[in-house]
Amino acid sequence: MIVTNARRLGLYLLLSFALVSGGLAYWQVVDAQQLASRPDNPEVIAARRSAPRGSIFDATGKLLASTAISAGLARRTYTDAAFTHLLGYASLRFGATGLEQAFDDVLSGRSDPNPLRDILDKALSRPPEPKDLSLTLDQRLQDFVAKQLGASVGAIVALDPRTGALLAMTSTPTFDATPISGDPNSAGGAMTRLQSAADRPLIDRARQGSYTPGSVMKVFTAAAALDAGAITPETTFPDQPKEETQGFTVQGFRITEHDLGQGVQPALWPLSPAMQVSSNIFFAHVGLKLGAERFLEYARRFGFCAPLQIGDSPNALPVGTSYVTARASGGGCTPFADDVELASASFGQAQVHVTPLQMALVAATIANGGVMPHPYAVADVRAHAAGAQRSDAVVQRYSGGGGSQLVGGQVADEVRKAMVDAVQAPLGSLYAGAAAVRLYGVSGVDTAGKTGTAQRGGNLAPHSWFIGFAPAQGGGTPSIAVAVLIEGGGPGSGNAAPIGGRVMAEWLRLQSASGG
Amino acid sequence: MRLAWRGTELWLLLPLLLLVPLGFVITHVAESQVLEPGPLGLATAYVALVLAAHLVLVLSGHRGDQLLLPLVATIGAIGIVMLNRLPGGTSLLGLNIGLAVTQVAWFGIGLIAMLAVAIGFRDDGLLRHYKYTWAAGGVALLVFTILFGTEINGARLWIYIGPIGFQPGEFIKIVLVIFIAGYLAENRALLAGASYRIGPISVPPLPYLLPMLAIFFGVMLVVAVSNDLGTALLFFGIFLTMLFVATGRRSYVLIGLLLFVTGSYVAYRLFAHVRLRVDVWLDPFADPSGAGYQIVHALYAFGRGGLFGDGLGRGLLPTVPGFFAIQTDFIFTAIAEELGLVGAFALLAFAVFLVFRGLRVAVLARDEFSSLLAVGLTTSIGLQTLIIVAGNAKLIPLTGITFPFLSYGGSSILASFLIIGLLLSISHRAAAEGDQVPR
Repeated sequence: MIVTNARRLGLYLLLSFALVSGGLAYWQVVDAQQLASRPDNPEVIAARRSAPRGSIFDATGKLLASTAISAGLARRTYTDAAFTHLLGYASLRFGATGLEQAFDDVLSGRSDPNPLRDILDKALSRPPEPKDLSLTLDQRLQDFVAKQLGASVGAIVALDPRTGALLAMTSTPTFDATPISGDPNSAGGAMTRLQSAADRPLIDRARQGSYTPGSVMKVFTAAAALDAGAITPETTFPDQPKEETQGFTVQGFRITEHDLGQGVQPALWPLSPAMQVSSNIFFAHVGLKLGAERFLEYARRFGFCAPLQIGDSPNALPVGTSYVTARASGGGCTPFADDVELASASFGQAQVHVTPLQMALVAATIANGGVMPHPYAVADVRAHAAGAQRSDAVVQRYSGGGGSQLVGGQVADEVRKAMVDAVQAPLGSLYAGAAAVRLYGVSGVDTAGKTGTAQRGGNLAPHSWFIGFAPAQGGGTPSIAVAVLIEGGGPGSGNAAPIGGRVMAEWLRLQSASGG
Repeated sequence: MRLAWRGTELWLLLPLLLLVPLGFVITHVAESQVLEPGPLGLATAYVALVLAAHLVLVLSGHRGDQLLLPLVATIGAIGIVMLNRLPGGTSLLGLNIGLAVTQVAWFGIGLIAMLAVAIGFRDDGLLRHYKYTWAAGGVALLVFTILFGTEINGARLWIYIGPIGFQPGEFIKIVLVIFIAGYLAENRALLAGASYRIGPISVPPLPYLLPMLAIFFGVMLVVAVSNDLGTALLFFGIFLTMLFVATGRRSYVLIGLLLFVTGSYVAYRLFAHVRLRVDVWLDPFADPSGAGYQIVHALYAFGRGGLFGDGLGRGLLPTVPGFFAIQTDFIFTAIAEELGLVGAFALLAFAVFLVFRGLRVAVLARDEFSSLLAVGLTTSIGLQTLIIVAGNAKLIPLTGITFPFLSYGGSSILASFLIIGLLLSISHRAAAEGDQVPR
């Protein structure tokens, strides 16, 4: 009997081994292809370990990122930490982020930007040919911008409102991405230190930060209300002067004015003076007059409530969503809960949370006659140059322009005037105080701007904001629009606005120096 | 004593003379990219040790099974070729001794132990009559490990005496088989015969089953507390298999499996570490750089290997940063990557041959105790192989047990050779008695 049972046992064990063999066959043959294409597979990483990769240059041809192969290991080196968040990193251990990720196929040469050549390359299985990138950003401005932020935590976005070409985009604190992208064995320690840093340097605040905008939102509110016909530049609200001191009661909730500053006497203000002293009461009335439906409709038009992107697919760099109301469960914005929320959103409080890039685009839209430019960061793709000298062989050129008319040209002009007044007119100067942005303007050039002091509740210091553009004379199109955010930086006029002024002045100086 | 000419064994061992050095040369060339043989001292030492063991068996007139040693030596050779290129090892007197050197040394010790048991154990009375003493010793060893053992990778299964550590579980496994074989041989008729029926299920008479179950569940409990799931599964599997072979009742096995599933579920609900292990098993890709890291990279290695493999010495699994357990838990995966599905099947075929030879020993044994002992020992090798390979291939949750003769580890090698020694001794007695009393 034991003999029979032992024979049966042999059969059962054989069946078990056959079962296990079937499992092995599944992984080794059936699922092998699928496993081989996963990015953290050492096979994929090993192929990249020694693979050449295109360099990245700034707009003027200065080398920002390059790959050198030594001892069979490709090491990526970055020359300027001011560019870290935009470029991202290309790590053998942690994959790629930023433009390194968005343009991975081009930089690695896995696909050619020219679709016809791409098909030929694949059909003939030619070896990958890495390509270089030239940015729209100028290293001189980018470094200047980074220096302006200094040790503060924040972000600055500057773009050409006519084309959408990014001129500077930086986030602080920044970090050196070279250790992460070098030797995979030591990359882990560098990454762990960055991940555990209290000020979270890995976040690109310009693209992915989410901040209460405060008064810089009034630029949007004004443009939307004017375009919808809810107000004209002369519209006033009879109760507003009284409410500046006594408060404005909406659905039983009393909205009070912030400190308008010494020497500012409440009066019956139309758009321009209301913008100059940044009257919350005025803009609450404007928002209510515009109505919840139209407020949301214009917000969506301006790019709120949906993720944005820099550049175009398949090489687009994702940008976080900006919200004007609470975040809906399926993405996007929920409807306004009540009129109190709508009134508060009109001056950039309540549930409004934005990225600095979104606010730069709002400024650029006003600057560009109501047309929102599509932002992009890469000017062209070129043949790979081995050294620090950029090749002249351009494979593909990206150009901006286009964009859709969000508000009428007339409306944009009216908002522009109010923003110039906010910087230069008597009330604006009075409100903004000694550190007014015009002090940093270039002589003979008008500057448009709006400060923001975003209340965060509790004892937290408010975020300091500025958006603006220059030159802002009537008739011309400005050549730079900026958004400056400093986390917990206090009043916008004291901190962000002077920086915004200096950045615009520096860009105009650089341009006139190279143009003349 | 008469010489026993073991021709089959010698013929099957001869290929190793060529294959082991060839394996060393191929991996050396693959690694150094230089066409030169590289050091072959270790390969020579390994083959010499195996041939010496063969010679001792011949000289002692041993008539045990002639396929066991060649099968074991071939599996071991594949392991040593792989271990020879893995980093790590032990440090002795300031000298770093590589994994393969240590492993070959353990093979030497294991072969000596095998010969001692195969030749010395001419009478099984020591095992049969003192089964309770053996069981008590096993339990004592287990309790000692749990109280004073060292915890490695969350499981407490090591005892350190100075710098040398060993895993008592490997030896307790053998003691368990001896006890169960002795108990079943004594009470088999009662267990298989009269039984109560509860509905369609027949239950063995309690007075005979209870002491056995009590000891067994005691062992299971202790193993579960020490967080060694693989060993628990192995012990339970051995127990059920031997019960089935002794009684021929599938219902016992079904009851046992039901108990095991229930117990596993309770453990899943009770212990966080068990939950983690099961969740990682169900979806390792949920956390591919954390908890699922090992199994994800094992699957990648299988996928890279494909049908015919990357080639010996060209696998990437040893280069994966932070992947440390190749020599013990994932050596089969590393070989499946380099030799492909074909090589993996060949390796499993050797294991299946080994199991079948072991069961043949059981079938030819002269008494019930020897038969059951051979069944239990063979099952322990077969199940252990199945559990670790199935764990590597994500068919069951991964457990930290070794692939017999393939994985690195002194305790595993020594215990596995003791098992082969016992099988040799059983088959020798069957052959010798067969001469005296022809069937």
